[in-house]
Amino acid sequence: MADKIFYFLTFLSLISAMLVIFSRNPVHSVLYLILTFFCLSGHYILLNAQFLAAVNIIVYAGAIMVLFLFVIMFLNLREDTEPRKGMAAKLAAVVSGGLLLLIMVAALRTADMSTLNNPASFDSQIGLVENLGRVLFTDFLLPFELASVLFLVAMVGAVMLGKREAGERNF
Amino acid sequence: MFYSVVLLSIFGILNLFLGFLKSRAWLLPVTLLFLATALVVTLTDWNKSLFFWNYMMSTDNVSVAFATIIIVSAMLILPLSRFYFPNAAAPVPEYYAILLFSVVGAILMVTYENIIMLFLGLETLSIAMYILAGSDKRNPRSHEAALKYFLMGAFATGILLFGVAMLYGATGTFNLSGLAQYVRTTLVNGASPMLYLGLTLVLIGILFKLSVAPFHFWTPDVYDGTPTLFTAFMATVVKTAGFAALYKILSVSFTGIYSVWWITLAATSVLTLLIGNITAVYQQSFKRMLAYSSISHAGYLLIAVTAMGQTSQSSILFYSLAYTLATITSFAVLILVNENRAGESFSAFNGLARHNPFLAFALTVAMCSLAGIPLTGGFFGKFYIFINALEKGLLFLLVVAVLMSAVGIYYYFRVVIAMYMRGSDDNAVADRIIVPKSYAAVLAITTFLTILLGVAPDLLVRYF
Amino acid sequence: MELSVFIVKSIIILAVFGVSLLIATYSTWAERKIAAFLQDRPGPNRAGIFGLLQPIADAGKMFFKEDFIPRQANKWLFIAGPSLAMLTACMTSAVVPFGDTVLVNGAEVTVQGIDINIGILYVFGVVSLGVYGVMIGGWASNNKFSLLGAIRAASQNISYELAMGLSIIAILMMSGSLSLRTIVEQQHGMNWNIFFQPVGFIIFLTCAFAECNRTPFDLPECETELIGGYHTEYSSMKLGFYLFAEYINMFVSSAVIAVLYFGGYNYPGMDWVRESLIGGLGLNWGHNLATLVGTMVFFGKIFFFIFFFMWVRWTLPRFRYDQLMNLGWKGLIPLAILNVVLTGAGLLAGTRLLSWVLILGVVLVATIQAGTARKRTVAAGRLSKV
Repeated sequence: MADKIFYFLTFLSLISAMLVIFSRNPVHSVLYLILTFFCLSGHYILLNAQFLAAVNIIVYAGAIMVLFLFVIMFLNLREDTEPRKGMAAKLAAVVSGGLLLLIMVAALRTADMSTLNNPASFDSQIGLVENLGRVLFTDFLLPFELASVLFLVAMVGAVMLGKREAGERNF
Repeated sequence: MFYSVVLLSIFGILNLFLGFLKSRAWLLPVTLLFLATALVVTLTDWNKSLFFWNYMMSTDNVSVAFATIIIVSAMLILPLSRFYFPNAAAPVPEYYAILLFSVVGAILMVTYENIIMLFLGLETLSIAMYILAGSDKRNPRSHEAALKYFLMGAFATGILLFGVAMLYGATGTFNLSGLAQYVRTTLVNGASPMLYLGLTLVLIGILFKLSVAPFHFWTPDVYDGTPTLFTAFMATVVKTAGFAALYKILSVSFTGIYSVWWITLAATSVLTLLIGNITAVYQQSFKRMLAYSSISHAGYLLIAVTAMGQTSQSSILFYSLAYTLATITSFAVLILVNENRAGESFSAFNGLARHNPFLAFALTVAMCSLAGIPLTGGFFGKFYIFINALEKGLLFLLVVAVLMSAVGIYYYFRVVIAMYMRGSDDNAVADRIIVPKSYAAVLAITTFLTILLGVAPDLLVRYF
Repeated sequence: MELSVFIVKSIIILAVFGVSLLIATYSTWAERKIAAFLQDRPGPNRAGIFGLLQPIADAGKMFFKEDFIPRQANKWLFIAGPSLAMLTACMTSAVVPFGDTVLVNGAEVTVQGIDINIGILYVFGVVSLGVYGVMIGGWASNNKFSLLGAIRAASQNISYELAMGLSIIAILMMSGSLSLRTIVEQQHGMNWNIFFQPVGFIIFLTCAFAECNRTPFDLPECETELIGGYHTEYSSMKLGFYLFAEYINMFVSSAVIAVLYFGGYNYPGMDWVRESLIGGLGLNWGHNLATLVGTMVFFGKIFFFIFFFMWVRWTLPRFRYDQLMNLGWKGLIPLAILNVVLTGAGLLAGTRLLSWVLILGVVLVATIQAGTARKRTVAAGRLSKV
């Protein structure tokens, strides 16, 4: 059962991720991206990481993508205003992307995951919120706290750049 | 080192609160005091080998030295902020706070022992830089710089994270010594493509931030559009911290697979040297020339990383210091010239020697140091790196580097020629630039140190 | 799972779904009746006794009106908008514990759609998705007023979601669990969270009003500025879905408020009721009846909050948009953070009552401000006389 769900979710996430790229209309792209996030949350649930699944939905689908939609709706991007790429650029992109894909497939096909895949040390409860919290506040306390410095910088910067200075030009 | 990180974070927040003060006069001295305190706290870790918080950070003499360079360069750049806040509404406390936070990020990058910390440090530094790049809100070029830097940087971060995920998948750890353990023991049996892929992607992510070719294309526009004060910060602090981080991850974790990555780094360093130096020749703007020169210096530093050995750490350190001092000098002079003569091109420097012999002298010393002329710090920086390359047998790298140094002399001396050989068109009195005391002090310090490093490099080298 | 347990569970789920739709339907009737009561007029009284058939008449009207899609609109998204709004509105009630357990053949079945250990986060996830119905509908209409209304709604929802999330952190700190059932079980008897988290309750209530786009936060629709807001172009049952989703949201937020702060199905003396029922009717019937009583009490609380929503709507004037944003970002969020800090300090010190300090502080500041304001106006009046 679980592996059938896995294959279905994987199929859906790949399809929606590709549609993000292939849609001409930016709003459709954003909506497909939201669908992709849902599929990823489904994967998290399959991994028994319910907290991550919920937070993924709340933060990414619920807040960040809404802001994306905001901007795109305000900019009113249309299909015909999208700049067309030259043939050479497209070809180069396809070739380099294809090469990267080839290398990745080749590298990951034979990947040895024995360090992580050990049934003896596997703990199915590792993704639950209690365990996550415990790890965050013991082993990873320092990065957890320093991440707040990172966010503080971003917030100060956003306020600084967003605030209108005296004499600044309004568009 | 852990305490200086904590202190600087708190000082940054305090700085934000200083914005409530009516008077701006206190801001600069207080911020300098903060940095000096952090410097003292950092130096107390000298000759200690410590790990913090479950092997998240570590200190040794080299990381203390790198952190010292970073803090000192921040202290040297801050006094140059005089021209950047013309109106009373400019959010000066915020600028200073962001600078302090970016120093936190830089220190994390030199002391990390866990890849998560590297990522946090890199991001704290980068986000601070994105903001500062766009801080000149009236200037569309500044917007362009911020947006370009942000988009490219976010892309590079994505690649870096992807690589980190691969490394974790291959080894099951984020810890540098854990990675080293894996490379030493498990990898003996055979190659692990996933690890190699992860390492390559992580390298791409870091090299991008260091503006190494072929990931350099954002550099000229970003350096050009960013307010010069913050360009100086980008060119010095970000480079120093980035190279310290690159060297650390490669030397601690991946010496076991040197044969896998050295060729990549060697190729990129040749490419960087060629592109950086040859494109710099064609620049008409001094600021853009400095941007390309910073690319070329990344190439020299990359040689030292490629030629990993006993002494390459100290040569990276020495080179970073010499390069930082000279770069601060040149940007300081550039700010003065740009403010007073309204131009960043070489012709704006015409006849500077006649009216401002001190400025001209400081800039000449800086240019000599960047070009690697003897009796300046830059000479010994290049010298040590070339010796590293020789010891490792990387002759072709050496040849390219020496040739490109010769090219470098050409474009560095264009500004010297402009200052000493060309007269200015306008009358002499108006052309005289009044040098503020803070600038004079900074220029005096950097010039003195550059010459000191060139005359007596042993003062620094004997410690490592 | 045993078959009978499975059947009971299915019945419970269907009942929860049906009841939430029914309550939402009759909320429209109740809204009009309450409005009429507050304005001293009879209200709907033609369709059926007390106008009780009015919602059905309304629904019939909605269904038979012309279903119009503007030509320039994005057809699929235009349809997706109200569907999404309806979908997200109906999803939340799955995790709300409507009652204690039901004994079936000796097996205990919870009166709840599903008990997941991140229940409250699930609620937040679904609520945060509620924005999409509005935004997609507003954008797909291809009408500037719709778009502006949608943007307003979305920015309001995002802003108040933050304060809402921060306000429940204090609750989570006290209960130590994200599961709604655990949170309810800890409020056994009269041990309700409202007595320990008054500030959190006020913030949560305010944010719930904003999330439901109810007055005084009904900025997304505004005749004078935005025509009809995001549903300007909608007609027929698509419009009906948007309006209906609002009432379901109101029901669900009332339920969540009751669960988080008013003890859910707990009421004083519940143990005594259960003991005497079991004593009189035997274990099976007694337990199940006691659960039913608890569920009734829970619905009583929900009805009170639905009434409260309507009461506020017909009493208070609405905010201006900048006032709304100022209240959210500069008022509620700092207050919620202070509440978290105070609650944490209180928990460390061994008391759960420290949150009241904040109430006292706010009251004190307000009193002082009111006093000085009066003095100032008096002084200004004297000055003007001079």
